Amino acid sequence: MEFTLNGKPVDVGVEPAETVAGVLRERVGLTGTKVACGTGVCGTCTVLVDGRTAASCLLPAGTVAGRDVTTVEGLGGDHPVQRAFAAHDALQCGYCTPGFVVEAAAFMDRWRAGHGASEPSREQIAEALAGHLCRCGAYAGIYAAVAAACAGEHDDPEDGSADGAADGGAVAPVRVEALEKITGAARYTADVVLDGQLEGVIVRSPHPHATVGEIRCEGPLAELLPPDRVVRYAGQPVAAVAAPTRAEALAIAARVEVEYTVLPAVLSPDDETVVYPTKESWQAAPRANEGPLASAKWNGNVRGPAGMSWRGRTAVKRIEKARSGGGQALVEATFTTSAQAHTCMEPHGCVARWDDGELHLHLSTQAVTRVAAQAAKRWKLGPEQVHIAAEHVGGGFGSKVNVTADVVAAVELSRLHGTPVRVVLSREEELVDGGSRPGVRVELALLADADGGLAAFTMDAHGDAGVSIGSNAAWHSRFFYGNAPRRIRDYDHITNRAPGIPFRGPGLPPMLWALEQGVDEMALRRGEDPLALRRRWDGNAKRHALYDRAADLPMWRDRTDPGDGRMRRGVGVAAANYMYFVDPGTKVSLAVEQGAVVARIAAQDIGTGSRSVIAEVVRAGLELRPGQVRVEIGNSDHAYGPTSASSCTTPSVAPAAEDAARRLRKALGGRTLDEAEGLQVVGRRPRDRRGYVTPFPLDHFAIGRGFTGAVVMTEVEVDTLLGRVRPTRVWCGVSAGHIYAPRLARNQCEGGVVQGIGYALFEQRRDDPGTGTVLTANLEDYRIPGIADTPEIDVYFHTEGWDHVPGRGVGLGEICTVAVAASIGNAVRHATGWRPLDLPVRPDLLLEGIGA
Amino acid sequence: MTTIEDAARAVRDTGGELRAGGTDVMTRPARPPVDLLGVPGLRGIGWQADGSARIGAVTAIADLLADDRLTAAYPALAATAAAVATPQIRNVATVGGNLLQRNRCWYLRNPAFTCHQTGGDSCPAREGDHLYSAVIDQGPCIAPHPSSLAVALLTYGATVEVHGRDALGVTDLYGDGSDPARDHCLDAAEVLQAVRLPAPAPSERGAYRRATAREMAEWPLVEAAARLTFDGDTVSTAAVAVGGVARTPLLLPEVAEALVGKPATEEALAAAADLATARCAPLPQTAYKVPLLRATLIDTLTACAAPAP
Repeated sequence: MEFTLNGKPVDVGVEPAETVAGVLRERVGLTGTKVACGTGVCGTCTVLVDGRTAASCLLPAGTVAGRDVTTVEGLGGDHPVQRAFAAHDALQCGYCTPGFVVEAAAFMDRWRAGHGASEPSREQIAEALAGHLCRCGAYAGIYAAVAAACAGEHDDPEDGSADGAADGGAVAPVRVEALEKITGAARYTADVVLDGQLEGVIVRSPHPHATVGEIRCEGPLAELLPPDRVVRYAGQPVAAVAAPTRAEALAIAARVEVEYTVLPAVLSPDDETVVYPTKESWQAAPRANEGPLASAKWNGNVRGPAGMSWRGRTAVKRIEKARSGGGQALVEATFTTSAQAHTCMEPHGCVARWDDGELHLHLSTQAVTRVAAQAAKRWKLGPEQVHIAAEHVGGGFGSKVNVTADVVAAVELSRLHGTPVRVVLSREEELVDGGSRPGVRVELALLADADGGLAAFTMDAHGDAGVSIGSNAAWHSRFFYGNAPRRIRDYDHITNRAPGIPFRGPGLPPMLWALEQGVDEMALRRGEDPLALRRRWDGNAKRHALYDRAADLPMWRDRTDPGDGRMRRGVGVAAANYMYFVDPGTKVSLAVEQGAVVARIAAQDIGTGSRSVIAEVVRAGLELRPGQVRVEIGNSDHAYGPTSASSCTTPSVAPAAEDAARRLRKALGGRTLDEAEGLQVVGRRPRDRRGYVTPFPLDHFAIGRGFTGAVVMTEVEVDTLLGRVRPTRVWCGVSAGHIYAPRLARNQCEGGVVQGIGYALFEQRRDDPGTGTVLTANLEDYRIPGIADTPEIDVYFHTEGWDHVPGRGVGLGEICTVAVAASIGNAVRHATGWRPLDLPVRPDLLLEGIGA
Repeated sequence: MTTIEDAARAVRDTGGELRAGGTDVMTRPARPPVDLLGVPGLRGIGWQADGSARIGAVTAIADLLADDRLTAAYPALAATAAAVATPQIRNVATVGGNLLQRNRCWYLRNPAFTCHQTGGDSCPAREGDHLYSAVIDQGPCIAPHPSSLAVALLTYGATVEVHGRDALGVTDLYGDGSDPARDHCLDAAEVLQAVRLPAPAPSERGAYRRATAREMAEWPLVEAAARLTFDGDTVSTAAVAVGGVARTPLLLPEVAEALVGKPATEEALAAAADLATARCAPLPQTAYKVPLLRATLIDTLTACAAPAP
């Protein structure tokens, strides 16, 4: 087939079933065009065909014969939209970026032809980009970039690189790898092609509960079963096979015969089968939470209570007394949340290669060091025999911290076939088995005393993390709102569903969905300003600064009676409290190479900007120009780096980088870089003043002193006719100390707000009640927020109170998102008089709730 | 393929499936595709002397929006086309493909299940999760019809040209929804060539609205199109159709008749919308679609009755 690709004629052989995306990626080797959903929903694969955008994952290859195809590579990196994306940091992990860039470039060209250099409205931009999804939620930057590009602000290449001054801060590094991501040059695991590489696919159980007998296959097959050969959810990996192409591998997989002995499944509380019948099987249960597991009793399919009560009996007594008295000061309600899928734009993927007894992995991971250690243990290798490369990672959100099934499949298949094997999950696999935040039912009773103080509360959280345990939500409430008596209990209700795993602030969003609506309700009962009540109950000085700031916002000061018209506006506020984690073992090495400083660390950048933070800290520490520092991360052979989890990356790597810069400056002793070729130092993460809460790190994490805080205020417009809730404005105040990279930090908080909106209003994994089969197995039925769902977001950083931490800054990737849903719940209550108890607040639930 | 006959023959010979833009066919396991895009004469918008329009079956949905005469003449169709899918899908998806696409039932599209549509004899959605299913019961299958364009075309009294047989109305294209295996009444080898739209009435108004959770790019929970002409303040003709609620797109003559001869007051529109709910027989999870159907009709009729800006 002949066609014109990026201005040049090409001639490739194609199979009838191929798509244009497949031809570009597999035959031509242009991997800037990504495939993230495969069903035309997410827009990641967008290309231009004769100047019009199209989802290339749905385009039959033959349709472009004789036509003109332009990919992101064809834009050349010097389209004004590309410069605008870099300048406005309109990206995070970058996996969706090529699609956005192609669409936005086409829109800008059309816009300029019709309107000249004027600025389109937000709605016009949203309409143009409605076919693109960004899981990181970088939409605020995308709006700004497209508006600026259309208005002509990036026509001149000289203006394009940075607008640091616009942030009002001297330290405002741009995302150092932005250009690679914007041009499609950034290589992700799914883009890796090695010589002789095979494609592996995973055979999955169609049954929610079964024992597996014999498995028959025509060729090499890697088993992926647990030791007891019991599959416990529909979609659980059973085995994997490989072939030169994915289509061939799928065909082999379809012919694999697996003997299942089907067992009764546990899909509702009434089902009597026990998912984990033995102590040994308890040990093997996957975890929905990070860190150590609180001990708890097992009783059939219920594990619990696990808890950190404080004067629990007093709390219960007070509440029972108030209940019998029918007191107005007692707020009681049961809240529920839904399972939320991580669904990173880059699916889980691994390319494995064995070389002379050593294992080399290209991996989409947020834990280069940790996974390397796990892999060494699993395959009985020395730590120096495992090499992981993760140059660019298309999102993680907690789902990529372990040796997952894709890794095991790739490694085992590579060994069996004696050649590299790539395993990349499909979007369906990703949405079934790529990870999810457990659904939780929270029973809350909240009591105020005669003076309006917090007298006591009880919170029971019942998590359904499928086959996982440790969906701990309630325990986070131990550390919030002072020291009033509280009974806190967490229960796991084990079912034959896919395992819940850690997801951005694990446990916090469901806990806050309940607690922060309870606090709001208490304020309403008392006729008190909800911010004023929080100020009285909450002793945290940093959050007080945020309350003060929030109380002064026009959104809050000028909030009005929503009235009884069709469209009703309401404003809600919610607060959050989270621990501060750090990996004290973090190191950064610096080397002087060819007149530049190269920083190396076995950390990774999953879109959060860790690469940029290191670059800027080193640059500032050595007073270099931006181009003089290069950062190499995503390589397990480098100096020890932390897992990107628990918001620990920045407070771990930045002080280590600062220390390294200090050491290099000393070692240079006044020499220029050119005079010090080959000079090397290693910087360590200095200890916090007064040390840590934990005497030694647990699984490399130390709990530091002090809590991060957030206050989120959201204005919604509720369409009481059609049942839609539309967030219109969000103020997100975060207290996490010094902000190393303001624009990137803002971007991450904006994305956290977007994810919180998804959690509050749209996202819900749904499964068939009879079989547990996940029905929301595509990005059409699993609804994540689009650009049009993005409100105007104002991020505010309170930077004081962290003087005991080297660098005075801690992480903020989780604290910014966890209270968003609760703020929306409170805003809906204000707008409609009805308090939503169940997530997500879908149109049907809203209409029922307001009695339409 | 160079002619419609060739395409039809290829379908018969190979047991294949016609494919236009492919935005539906490529998302599901399909029979061997027979491409229509190369067949001459199936693309483009033409106008007859009487002011009626003829839209070739493989005209892209985006091309409807790019045609100023068409969007002015058939505002409800234009509004519907603008709401379909996403820009890059509208650039590729065709008018005929939109009318003849398969439904989006998540049981149909999940290989773990069989149902009436795939040779089985049951509907897993009825017993299972049917939050997005029909609220008007037409037969064993409860998947709502996915074609938004059909909803608008119903209000315009459009007909479709099918190669080798007489033109048929859009209502007849879908039948009564009682056959669970069919999303339309054409046989596999029958080629829909074009859609014909009667000439619009002078100064008629049209509107389309859909209820969704997200702002854009989402299949409707309920959708409605309306077309009204006025004599002063009084509605003189009306046509109203809905989607998302039944196995077929539905014209609602009872709603239209209730509007005619009266001013389009808020009360009159609500009273007319109420009539549609008599058709509903909700499933356990689709009861919300009863008030939502009424609400979407009110929203659509209100927009339609409002004077043009």
